Formats: sequence, structure tokens, C-alpha cells
Amino acid sequence: MEMLLEEKHRTLRQSVRRFCDRELRPIAAQIDQEARFPWEVIEKMGALGYFGIQVPKTLGGAGLDAVSYAIAIEEISRVSAAIGLCVSVHNSVAVYPIMAFGSQAQIDQWVPPLARGEKIGAFCLTEPNAGSDAGGIEATARSDGDTYVVNANKVFVTNGGIADVCLIFCRTDPAAGRRGISVVVAERGTDGFVVGDLEDLCGMRANPVCSIRLNDCRVPRTNLLAREGVGLKIGLAALDTGRMGIGAQAVGIAQAALEEAVRYARQRQQFGVPIERHQAIQTMIADMATGVDAARLMVYRAAALKDRRLPFSKESAMAKLFASETATRVTDMAVQIHGGYGYSKSYPVERYYRDARVTRIYEGTSEIHRMVIAKSVLEE
Amino acid sequence: MHIIVCIKSVVTDAPRGKIVRRADKCALNPFDRPALEVALQLKEKHGGSVTVLTMGPPSANATLREALAIGAHRAVLLCDPALAGSDTLATSTALSAAVNYLAPFDLILFGSRTLDSDTGQVGPQTAVRLDIPMVTGAVKIDGFPGHLTVERKVDGFLETYELDLPAALTIHPASAAPRDPALGGIAAAFDEMPVETLSIGQVGLDPNQVGDAGSPTRVLSMKPVKKKRTCQWIQGTPATQADDLVRQLVDAGLIG
Repeated sequence: MEMLLEEKHRTLRQSVRRFCDRELRPIAAQIDQEARFPWEVIEKMGALGYFGIQVPKTLGGAGLDAVSYAIAIEEISRVSAAIGLCVSVHNSVAVYPIMAFGSQAQIDQWVPPLARGEKIGAFCLTEPNAGSDAGGIEATARSDGDTYVVNANKVFVTNGGIADVCLIFCRTDPAAGRRGISVVVAERGTDGFVVGDLEDLCGMRANPVCSIRLNDCRVPRTNLLAREGVGLKIGLAALDTGRMGIGAQAVGIAQAALEEAVRYARQRQQFGVPIERHQAIQTMIADMATGVDAARLMVYRAAALKDRRLPFSKESAMAKLFASETATRVTDMAVQIHGGYGYSKSYPVERYYRDARVTRIYEGTSEIHRMVIAKSVLEE
Repeated sequence: MHIIVCIKSVVTDAPRGKIVRRADKCALNPFDRPALEVALQLKEKHGGSVTVLTMGPPSANATLREALAIGAHRAVLLCDPALAGSDTLATSTALSAAVNYLAPFDLILFGSRTLDSDTGQVGPQTAVRLDIPMVTGAVKIDGFPGHLTVERKVDGFLETYELDLPAALTIHPASAAPRDPALGGIAAAFDEMPVETLSIGQVGLDPNQVGDAGSPTRVLSMKPVKKKRTCQWIQGTPATQADDLVRQLVDAGLIG
């Protein structure tokens, strides 16, 4: 695979890997167990450009392409999936929609501090009664003079506990159904903006996922992205790049699990030989390696299409579906190869197993992705 | 101040003992990173520019670009088929010619050694070729402008030298923690900044001064050395196991 990449991408991979191995690997298990967000590393990542990977340099970003983005997310997630999630969501579903749909004034206001990592972004769509059915959200934004009065109950907000700039999906025209949904940007600290308790999750525990409530929160009308009624269009465009990021994240987790499984299979002795000599183990290693490779190719293809400004929505959905299902299968096999030790917190594979599971759920479940892909195929 | 840092694209992997200098099997020599870091810190303190120079095949391009991403201003690749097979003497001949081409300069920095061939000779030999003062294993550099005060730790002693400029130093690997390239630096290094390529003719060298022809060293053979490892179990309570382990290490002369 590496030979097919450009030198820039290989250098980027080596640099991100060196940084993550040095800064994140020593604390990855601990921040997972303590559910602690490692600001000390995040500040360094901000200074290095991780929070504006595809943002132009004129706006404080790194000015890299989508393939670079996928590689960076993959490498961070190989060490700490929770931090890969933080960077992925911030870049793809918080910064990108502002870049793509915001006015110049909105871009100038929000993007530079987000790109430098001085502010963290979040995407607030999911509600207790609306997840896969995004059109079913109940949050409202009532126009009142030059403000919106926003009432929302958003749950499972990735980065929610630390986010400064939140994209809130809400109904500006309750009578208009799916066409009455809009995106307004709410900033933490505004009156009525309440951050809920952290979710006690199975995996991705170092990410401060929590609920966010807006109670009669007054947001300037100038915080509306694009125009009223196009909220779902903005959401779907954001999810096209977001899905690529989740695919890259799944590849990173699966790669880490594969490496640990190979390392363990070489050292673990049973029946007088290292278990790598047993055909049952070899079969699993072969399936794991093939799955990881295929998933990586699919993610990079979606990214390469985006870089060439070609349609990539279907390919991005396929990459996310395949990579996330591969990651849950590969991490499961890594636990199996480790036997009882794989079920213990003494080894990292149980964390990979927990972290991988949610990649099949967030930013569109596998089931929704199959609907999206089938629709795309049947319409061709 | 113009600082030239000589760097190397080292081989990180040799499948089945065969060296293939391909970009995905090469990396910036880790011992050169502290040298580049020292150069960047001196530049930040005293102003000036940092040039990175390497001799190697076209695949060394990526290593130079990584140095640009980290913060170097200019990257120069000395690349010529006639350089193939150069030993350390021929390499220092080639590097000194390239350094003269890049003159004027105030300081040339090298890593203390390379990860792949590990001779530690090229820095000192290049300084001799250029007829400039050289201190190896520098840990602290001060005293600009005009001259240089350099500290060097060796054999339990701290030596302090004063050097006239221009001078050459090899940098002790523990002297500075290398910085990470910013992601924006990587984009700039690969998308915007040039790498200059020089042939031996451009730096005034003749083919018989470098490569195989200019190398007195002849490698007769090379084969991997297999180390025999044995595992010994130490029995007993943890306390007696520890005592036994310490005794054995003392007896073997490994600690004490």
C-alpha cells in the first residue's frame, strides 16, 4: 500500500505515527480507564495543525488534502481511537460545514480558532427520539427579532463536554417537515447553553461524549448556516466527509488489533510451539490482514475521489460500512487469538474491541448505510 | 548566520538482508534530528538560515522534504550516478565540495552517527577536507557571533572548547529534543518548496574522486551474525530470585 502513496502521504504517516507513539501511546489505556480528556496532548496537536487538517493556511489550517486527512485519523486511532474520534468529528462535521456553507463573515469568525485547536467543535443532531431518522428531530429555533430562541435536547454529542462551537440542528419551521430543519451555531457560555453529564460509555471513553441542552438559548440570527430549511442537506454533506473519517478511524483500530494479534501469536506458546504455527491462528491472521487492507483501500479511494472533486458519497458510505464491520470483526479475532488474556485489561485488544463497536453505530448505522448504498446503486 | 546541516536518508528495512534504497524503506536518520533541531534553535536565537544537504539517490528527496517540513529553509540533494559505492572518505570529499558550493557558511552540523552504517566518520572527515575546526558530540553551543563555545561530554568529563567560525560539529543525540513537523509544514514542503539537485560536475568534482573510484575501502564480505540466546529460569521466592539475579549479573561483570 505504502508504495502507492505519494511521498507527502508517507512522510505525513511517519510524522503522525511518531507523534502519537510518543505522546498518546503511554497514556492511551489510562485515559480510557479514567475517561479523561488529555488536554496536555490536545494542545500540542492544536499547535501542529491537527484541528484544521484540510483548512487552508490562510485560515490557520494545515492545507492538506483528504487522503492526508484519512491517514492522520487512521494513525491517531491506531493509538487512541477516542482522540482520533475527537479530531475526526471536529474536522469533518464541525469545521467542514462552516467552511462549505458558512458566509465569509462566519468563516472568518469561527474557522481560524477552530483550525488552531483553540476552540473545539461539535455536531449536534441526535436526540433521544431521533437518530437514524434525522428528519424526526424535535429541537426548535423560534425567530424573535435579530435572534433565534433555541430549545434543544441533544444527546451523545461527541466532544460535547469540551466543545465551544456547536452546530445545532433544529426546526425553524415546524410545519415544513424535513424542509423546516436548519443549522444554527451555538457557542458554549451563551445563556441557556447547558452541558450535561458525561456518558459512561463502553468504548471511546477518553472522548467527553455528553448531552447538550439549550433552554430558551438566544443565538444571533447571523449564526444561521446558509439559509433556513437546508439543515438536512448540510448534515448529509457533512456526513459524507464524516463517514470517511469514521472509516479511517475503523481502519486504525483494526490495524492496531492486527499488530497486537501478530505480536502475541509469535510469542505465545501452546502445544510446544508459538501459536502462529497453528493453522487456525493463521487463518484468522490472514482474514484480519485482508480485511484491514481492503478497508484501507476503500477509505483512501473515497478520499482520493474527494481530492479530485469527483462524487464520493456512495464510496464514502461503502468505506464506512465495510471498515466499521471489518474493525469489529478484526478486533473480535484479536481478542480470540489472545484467549483469556484478550479479555483482560492487561492487554490493549479489549480496548480496541470496545472502541471498534461504536463505529458501526455513529455517523449513520450500518443499516442506514446499506439503505444509502442500495438507493445509490438502484438509481444508477 | 548560515547553518548547513548534513543529513542522511537511512535504510530502515533490508528484507532478506538486501538493501533497497526505496523511499518507503528509508527515513531521516534519527541521529540527524537533534542536529537539525540545534540548527533551528540557533537560527531562532541569532537569525539567519538553515540549509539541509544530503548525498544520495533520488529517493532521498523525501528525507530532504521532511527536513523542510520541520523548518529548514533550503534543501540540496547531491545526486549523481558516479557517487554510487562511496565509502566515508569519498562521501566527505563529495560533501565538502557541495558545502563549498553553498558557501559562505558559519556552521556545519552533523548527527553523531547514522542508523544504518554507524561509522561516525563522515562529519570529522568533512571538517578535515574543509580545513575547519571540529568538535564531536557537542551538547551545548553558545558564544555567537564571531566565535563559538562548545561543551562536549566524554568519558565522565565535560570539555569546553572555543572555536573560530566557520566550524563543524557533530551533535550529541541527547543535546536537543527534536520538534515535530507541523502538518502545515508537511503540506508546504511537498506542495510549495523546491529541492535543488546538484551533480558532481556542478560542485567541481571529477568522477574518479568519488564513488567506487574514490573509495579506498573494500568490503570483502558481509553476513548477519547470529547471536545464540539462552533462557534461564531462576527459582525460589521473589526475594531469593532477586538476590540470585543480582549475584549472577555481578559475576558476569554486567553490574557492580
